[in-house]
Amino acid sequence: MKSINLKENQFIQFHQKISFKFDGVKYFGYKGDTIASALLRNNINLVGRSFKYHRPRGIYTCGIEEPNALVQIISEYSEPNTRATIKKIYEGMEIESQNRWPSLENDFGSINNLFSPIFTAGFYYKTFMGPHKKFWKNLYEPLIRRAAGLGKPPKDFKGISNHIHHNVDVTIIGGGLNGLLAAKSFINSNYDVLLIEFEDRLGGIINNSNKISLIDNKEPKDWLKETIQEIEESKNVKILKNTLVTTYNYINHLIAIEDRFVGSKPIEGKVNSTLHKIRTGHTILCNGHIERFLSFQNNDLPGIMLSSSFEKYMCRYGLSPSKEPVIFSNNSNSNSLVYSLIKAGLKPKAYIDSRSGEEIEPNLFDLIRKNDVPLYTNSQIKGAFGNKKIEKILVEDSSGALNEIKCDCLCLSGGINPDVHLFTQSKGLLDWDEKDLTYKPSKPFQPTITLGSASGQFNFDNLNSEINEKLKTFKVKKLDVKLELNTNTKYNIEKLWEVSPQKKSLWAKSFIDLQNDVTTKDIRQAITEGFDRIEHLKRYTTNSMGTDQGKISSINALGIVSDLLDKKVNEVGTTIYRPPYAPLSFSAIAGRNCYEFYDPERKSPIHSWHIKNGAIFEDVGQWKRPWYFQINKDESMHDAVQRESKNVRENAGILDGSTLGKIEIKGEDALEFMNLIYTNSFTKMKQGSARYALMLGEDGMVKDDGIICKISDQHFIATTTTGGAATVLGCMEEYAQTEWPNLKVFMNSITEQYATFNISGPKTREIMKKAFPNINFSNEKFPFMTFQFHEFNGIPIRILRASFTGELGYEIYIPSNSAPKIWDNIQSLGKEFGLAPYGTETMHLLRAEKGYIIVGQDTDGSITPIDLGLSWMIGKSKKDFLGKRSLTRSDTIREDRKQLVGIIPSNKADKLEEGQHIILDKEIKSPVPMLGHITSCYYSSTLGHDFALAVIKNGHSMIGTKAYASTSSMSTTGVDIVKPVFYDEDNKRLVS
Amino acid sequence: MLIINCPYCGPRDQSEFSNGGEAHVKRPDGSKEIGDREWGEYVFIRANPKGLFYERWVHTHGCRKWFNCVRDTSTDEILVTYRLDEKKPNLNNFKSVVKTPSGEPEVGSGNFTVEK
Repeated sequence: MKSINLKENQFIQFHQKISFKFDGVKYFGYKGDTIASALLRNNINLVGRSFKYHRPRGIYTCGIEEPNALVQIISEYSEPNTRATIKKIYEGMEIESQNRWPSLENDFGSINNLFSPIFTAGFYYKTFMGPHKKFWKNLYEPLIRRAAGLGKPPKDFKGISNHIHHNVDVTIIGGGLNGLLAAKSFINSNYDVLLIEFEDRLGGIINNSNKISLIDNKEPKDWLKETIQEIEESKNVKILKNTLVTTYNYINHLIAIEDRFVGSKPIEGKVNSTLHKIRTGHTILCNGHIERFLSFQNNDLPGIMLSSSFEKYMCRYGLSPSKEPVIFSNNSNSNSLVYSLIKAGLKPKAYIDSRSGEEIEPNLFDLIRKNDVPLYTNSQIKGAFGNKKIEKILVEDSSGALNEIKCDCLCLSGGINPDVHLFTQSKGLLDWDEKDLTYKPSKPFQPTITLGSASGQFNFDNLNSEINEKLKTFKVKKLDVKLELNTNTKYNIEKLWEVSPQKKSLWAKSFIDLQNDVTTKDIRQAITEGFDRIEHLKRYTTNSMGTDQGKISSINALGIVSDLLDKKVNEVGTTIYRPPYAPLSFSAIAGRNCYEFYDPERKSPIHSWHIKNGAIFEDVGQWKRPWYFQINKDESMHDAVQRESKNVRENAGILDGSTLGKIEIKGEDALEFMNLIYTNSFTKMKQGSARYALMLGEDGMVKDDGIICKISDQHFIATTTTGGAATVLGCMEEYAQTEWPNLKVFMNSITEQYATFNISGPKTREIMKKAFPNINFSNEKFPFMTFQFHEFNGIPIRILRASFTGELGYEIYIPSNSAPKIWDNIQSLGKEFGLAPYGTETMHLLRAEKGYIIVGQDTDGSITPIDLGLSWMIGKSKKDFLGKRSLTRSDTIREDRKQLVGIIPSNKADKLEEGQHIILDKEIKSPVPMLGHITSCYYSSTLGHDFALAVIKNGHSMIGTKAYASTSSMSTTGVDIVKPVFYDEDNKRLVS
Repeated sequence: MLIINCPYCGPRDQSEFSNGGEAHVKRPDGSKEIGDREWGEYVFIRANPKGLFYERWVHTHGCRKWFNCVRDTSTDEILVTYRLDEKKPNLNNFKSVVKTPSGEPEVGSGNFTVEK
């Protein structure tokens, strides 16, 4: 189609030329143009290929409702699926069309259109089933993904977004006529008001159409200027432009996204979008209406456009996409397009209306007559035809005769709908209006007010009374605006959803959802197959499931379904509109919580030393912990771990245990509280002694473990696992507040206040003596599981004799600030004894040799202390503790529960792996009853072979027997089930 | 997102709080004999009504205090919050079961936007 430029206007100046590239070819547009208006100016209307059938598609609308014209912005990190109808061009912009190969004109995928009779609703579900489930993953899915789809994901996107919170009394959504009037009435009131407009200009219908001729006896343009100035000068009304409200949540919580670079290229490193999170007292929806299309054969051809969009291109962009479009309508909304065309010195090639001559507005009738526009009343378009663009249409007139009209553009109007998306997101109820044939807001669920066409007021005659009535509660000043219109005031529509094609053909397509390539035939088929509930039908056909959520077509689908089912539209209901209103990018949602701010990294006070000394780190919760230390770049992890573990067994090793959770518990009733929280009894425990303790859930399962130090009956320090610290503190606080509020007890985390060094190995005592010469480390003065407070060079320290490796060991607790100094000191003093740092992997190996469990690795929330063989830790004489009663439930006393055992390969040279299943038979023959699985597995250089911990059914009584471990290659390895202790069973090394 | 009125700190954003499930579930007294059934119900069984519900919340990223509330599970409206040591409010004091968001059936997905 051939477009022409009209007169300049306030939005577009013809001297400000901008060049941009579309599919590699350079074009010119003007400042203020959207991609769509600039392309239309260059007579380009084929802008993309459709989702499924790869049909040529053009620009259908002039706004956010656009289903077809989605493009990829190459110059912005290849941002896909951008609506060409709202994205403004800038100098040097590069744009590509989507879903075509090798080119837009000659698209290989359009072969799908030939096969389209078989690609009907449910095609994929029915077809790609066999012969093997691997076919889906390896063949069908990759093929379908290649052929179908929208744009390509951006490769290296680094958009930055900010979040801003607002707390206001009133939010007005939509800066059109009603939004401006509402905002105007709030000027200088006591309310904080936010006025949000999606476009870069306020005014809405005043800018986009010629409907209104005078406001308060002024030119609409002038009235608009004055009003905006008044609002801008007010102290209590804030305007947000370029901001789209995407989400209306509970409790009047709105999410809106602001584009910071409208009409210019986003600058790298600058915030390119702002996400506004708005909490408001009242929401006033003035977001207007959306025009819908009509279904007939080939209603998707490039050159077909909504009539109000055509008018918007004329009024906003000074551009008539065609010199003589044909107009096809079933309602009065297209009147103003006829008026605008004639005002611009153009005229429609034909005006086709499904309504009868009596129903058509007299002033439109006059206009058409006066200008000799061919008029077809009581007529319908049976189909549009052409090669990649509309060339002719077939009109059935009132006598039933067929007329062929040659044309390059067809403007459609199937009626208008209030934009109810936000209203239904807010959980408001809709009601079907039989006269206006649309869903209108009826009962709000929240303090929501709808005004103007958003509330279904398609006529301007009660503009003042509606606003005055609905804003009564605010006691703001009353409006008395005088409006004069160019066209009719009464909205009138005749029911028409679909025109059936002239010739029945398998290839004849009348689309009901342009973006997802759903045809009216698909809807029929879905209903035939039993998907007659609207939500089922939507999912089966994918109708209105595109990124446009069927904004111009979903009501049409309801109309067709209600006719097919012979039900009222209200009985059919509507599918729910879900947020977001339009797609918003993940980077906007993420805001600043990405990259290094995504999840905080916690580092021990010794972290920089670890880096300098070749530590390879492991993430434990948010903590960075040394996994192992590389003495040179070539050392493998296996070698490093064997070297570190051997050194601990023979000399001494030091581990940074600062990440262990530490909780201080104080108060008059601290002893009673600890007795209730942990399984162990702390009553008879001496002051200055420590105890390994277990914490259960109320279901009796092990939740955490740690060492409890008793300073006095009123003061304890508990350690927790690194990952469990927050949960354990939370659990203690919960029970202290909710179950035992009578206990006087307080608790606090001291994890970050203290660093912890775990030194262990046979030579540890010598090192400790040297490092802390004034402390007596003899076995008599400092026995196993006791702790002492000391002062070292003025630094208060606590030393606990405990071990997680099975060797003689001490844990030193030091205020974090002083820790690096003491760590360095121990390192240099320990050198002569062979002291070397070790990481978490070596710690895991050493503890497994001793059969010490790790909560979360050897347990999984279904293991009781009894299953672990730790019955001795249960304070049976205690009346109560967390989970006590659960330990005697029928399920927990079952004999065939999974229990912790040790596993060694019968042939010592065999290898084992974590996660291997333990089974009884050597031969794997389905079904294979599983006894349990390996939870921890290591190679031990001390033992000279692999060993493992496992939880297996009835494990305790199976000790001494043989079983098999299944391997991933469907074979088995013979294993011996043994006690879960592999090293120093009598604890001689530990306590001497 | 909800706004929750912490009885200690005042109205705050939902993201500061954690949910603690049904409120007023009494932990059986451990010093007495507890039957399997009684204990099992305490550990595993919680009410899950559609409508008014006594619920526990904790101001995790705030004062870390636990408190109770009455929430309408069908609308997510929090009708009242109160301290643990306060008496539990009578549900009859609240406007029966608030009409569900979209007049949907009493049991169901809530997937309706027109009155049924």
